[in-house]
Amino acid sequence: MIKYSYNQEALKNLKIEDTSILDRLIDFNDARKSHLKKDHSQRDKRMSLKEAIAEFVKDGDICTDTGFAYVRTPHQAYFEIMRQQKKGLHFIGSPNTNHSYMINYGVCAYSHNSYLGAEMRGTDRNYNRQLKAGKVKILSEWSHGSMAQGFKAAQLGMPGIFSKQLLGSDIIRYNPYVKVMQNPMRDDPDPVVFIPALYPDTTIIHVQAADRCGNARIYGPAVNDAALAAAARKVIITAEEIVPESELRNDNKGVVIPFMYVDAVVELPFGACPGNMPGYYYWSRQWWEKIFRFAGPSDENMKLFMDEWAINCKDQFEFVDKLGGAKWISMARRLTKACEYDNEDAEFDFSYQPYLPGKDPGIYY
Amino acid sequence: MNTQKPANPLEMVAYVLSQHIKDHQIVYVGTGLPMVAAILARMTHAPNITLVYESGGQNPIGGDMPWSVGDPFTWRKSPIIQEMVYSFAQSYNGYVDIAFLGFAQIDMYGNINTHFIGDDFLSPKARLTGSGGNNDLSSLTENMVLVGIQSPQKFPKKVDFITSVGHLTGGDSRQKAGLLGNGPVAVVTNAGIYDFEPTSKRMRVKSLHAGVSFELAQMATGFELLRPEGGTVPVTKTPEPEALEILRTKVDPHGVFTSIPGM
Repeated sequence: MIKYSYNQEALKNLKIEDTSILDRLIDFNDARKSHLKKDHSQRDKRMSLKEAIAEFVKDGDICTDTGFAYVRTPHQAYFEIMRQQKKGLHFIGSPNTNHSYMINYGVCAYSHNSYLGAEMRGTDRNYNRQLKAGKVKILSEWSHGSMAQGFKAAQLGMPGIFSKQLLGSDIIRYNPYVKVMQNPMRDDPDPVVFIPALYPDTTIIHVQAADRCGNARIYGPAVNDAALAAAARKVIITAEEIVPESELRNDNKGVVIPFMYVDAVVELPFGACPGNMPGYYYWSRQWWEKIFRFAGPSDENMKLFMDEWAINCKDQFEFVDKLGGAKWISMARRLTKACEYDNEDAEFDFSYQPYLPGKDPGIYY
Repeated sequence: MNTQKPANPLEMVAYVLSQHIKDHQIVYVGTGLPMVAAILARMTHAPNITLVYESGGQNPIGGDMPWSVGDPFTWRKSPIIQEMVYSFAQSYNGYVDIAFLGFAQIDMYGNINTHFIGDDFLSPKARLTGSGGNNDLSSLTENMVLVGIQSPQKFPKKVDFITSVGHLTGGDSRQKAGLLGNGPVAVVTNAGIYDFEPTSKRMRVKSLHAGVSFELAQMATGFELLRPEGGTVPVTKTPEPEALEILRTKVDPHGVFTSIPGM
């Protein structure tokens, strides 16, 4: 039986008495066993989003926030998790922002924090309220880079990484998984932080293209997703397009996830809506402003908002229709391509009317 | 006749930040005013800098202001995009010259809090963003410039949580803790520019913006500020009209980051 030696000060500060809740995230032996037990054959893994979430996301799983908060993030899969009323999930990711709205429904109950909120659009008032109401329990506190090192250690196939991040900070006093040690190759004092390899249960990664076996291409920032695919016990790929295997063989640029990690492949155009999908569509900036400015301030508003956009929304197509349908799609495509300079942008105007509470835009640009 | 309005406090901060960037440097950029400053520097005195963003974008060609640090503008026609963990490793390995970070609270040693306000982590008065890349950059980068709005609440004697270490408890405590680089070299606010006294590593006035006296700056600070060497307080250089014009018309034309209603 494995016994972990957690950072005792952090356990005390976070008031974690039963440490078994922490074990699975660093249980390499169990993760490896899961990986060995998978069907390793090169087979067709396509299924519907409903089937994939039903089969591979179980109550209490450690799930991940992927992409970059609202860039290439599988929001539509998160909304399906909410529709299926999964309970007590843990969320981890750098950044880890999207679990906030899931806490209100009991879908997420535990968080491994790195960053909350939406940059200039303000702090996450909803998370604030849920934390104070005891609806979410913080299991560990990280910086983006130190958590990313934990995922990378798993992908590299090593028990952990020695880091120079977090030293001297209070984050160390609120993270049971990290420990300050002396660099073993130095005789003079040289403090380093040991960060264990991190193994979440389930990761969902939205990509531009995948083949039916799960080889997946990411265009734009991959962030931590190549590492998360290698680490997680279960991997769901949602993709804008399913391409023939020969396409990825002929041009393997950007193919960062090999098929063997993958359990399910879901064809899911608009799967990152309302986030930005490089090459495909820009954010719905007003949707994000609305969730922070209208939904954020009260539980009632958050319920109204997420009921409308997630719980009672049948699928991503209905979601896109609510954003503004074909007009929204063409503008969102124009915007992201102009940002990438794949469309002429000489006279193109990126300005827009930010969302103001009480003033719902007809189309959520 | 020059009819240009003088710089508002946010424009002043953006300009002062941009002045900390030298041409040909590699600059790690966070969201908000640092983004504005880096782009202003690139359009004025430092056209050959390389920008690095934590989402992985680096060295984009010029374009409009990114809506987020993950915006396609941060990797617009980039020759390479790095995974997050590698972009921080650039700082560790010595391939970043300067980085800019914001804060909710800062103490006299330049330690930063972006975690929470209050005295109970588990039930704070206000939970804030947490670290993001703040701790990573402050732990690893050679030179840090910190930026924020100044008030006694934001400049307390002791921060409620140390998200990122500046000079820790002063002297050589930062090096002893095992951290890399020089730590914070400057703090830029709407009131002035501060540096750190070389031995004690306590915050010291470097210059104050026009109209701000030492007494006023002290009133906006919850700990004792040190005076500059020699005692007299220089006035911060105001933006050249050309720089201000570029900031308003080209860098942040919609005033997303630098406009103040009524000014």
